Amino acid sequence: MQMITDILGPAADYHDALHRLDHRHAVDVLRLPRADLARRRLRAISEGGREIALALPREVQLYDGAVLAIDEDSALVVRVETERWLRLAARNGAVALKLGYFCGNLHWRVRFEGEELLVALEQEDRLYHDRLAPMIAAGEVMVLPDRESQPA
Amino acid sequence: MNVSPPITRKGPGAARIGIGGPVGSGKTALIEALIPVFKARGIEIAVVTNDLVTKEDARRLQAGGLIDPDRVLAVEAGACPHTVIREDPTLNIAAADDLEAAFPGLDLIIIESGGDNLASTFSLDLVDWWMFVIDVAQGDDIPRKRGPGIVQSDLLVINKLDLAPHVFVDAAAILAEARQIRGDAPVIGCRARGATVEGIDQIADTIARELLFQDIPA
Repeated sequence: MQMITDILGPAADYHDALHRLDHRHAVDVLRLPRADLARRRLRAISEGGREIALALPREVQLYDGAVLAIDEDSALVVRVETERWLRLAARNGAVALKLGYFCGNLHWRVRFEGEELLVALEQEDRLYHDRLAPMIAAGEVMVLPDRESQPA
Repeated sequence: MNVSPPITRKGPGAARIGIGGPVGSGKTALIEALIPVFKARGIEIAVVTNDLVTKEDARRLQAGGLIDPDRVLAVEAGACPHTVIREDPTLNIAAADDLEAAFPGLDLIIIESGGDNLASTFSLDLVDWWMFVIDVAQGDDIPRKRGPGIVQSDLLVINKLDLAPHVFVDAAAILAEARQIRGDAPVIGCRARGATVEGIDQIADTIARELLFQDIPA
């Protein structure tokens, strides 16, 4: 098990070294869900199969592209899993207020994109659809097709 | 190679875990059962308790003789127990920092929330990992009611398995349903009090493996 107790810096600071190692397929990735970026301690397996024990100081926060280890032969970099979003539209302003209150009350993480509301899918999809079902059945809320682009 | 100079920091310090769950589900009893197990394994611990407007749980632990009373601090949560573990955990962070400063050799700080409802969750700014404790006497429908505590916790503990026949609950069924609802996330059934306890070593193993990185098989 490889113990990591600090972040060395962002990948941009190690651009040349990572580029060279990448050509040798020597850059390993620790891929994490966005929710796990808030953790200071976790045990995980990297994409290269390394067992990683992460124990960071409390003032340090993980981020996409954080370099956890690097030497002449290999590197380990954090990458964040692509987030999935449920894209919703409200029938009118009154429903939009109701939908916003509803999502807040359930502690759902949301983003706004124009007149559309995006809900981060952090649990089973079914849980979100079950909660929204009455508003969808009433024609108050529409589920829009997923788009490739992620919200800013 | 472009390598930045080493950064000097204080180090990761003690792991911090949260124990949440409804009133009376056995959070304090679980801590009382875990303390001797951790002690036997040489794991140095301290505890922060949260009560609404008293220091009841802290006094219980301090008086119990299981742990040095100075290693137990109380936070009075006021009317909203989840606020001080999620929205604004400042008081609990300060209490954990105080314990860590007073006892630099700590391996683990346990932060027990006040009794709350199924929506209670911990901020990961406060803890590294958290478990949610329910008990069979609350009814066999609690897992399928889901709620953030049930589905988002790192470990779900179902306590008081010995009471199941007395409250017309099938212990095996409630455990199976909880596991089905949580997918890959762990569920452990336990009995934290009584002549014999059950599941406590398994909970201690999970904490030691996931937080203290001990080589214990999953």
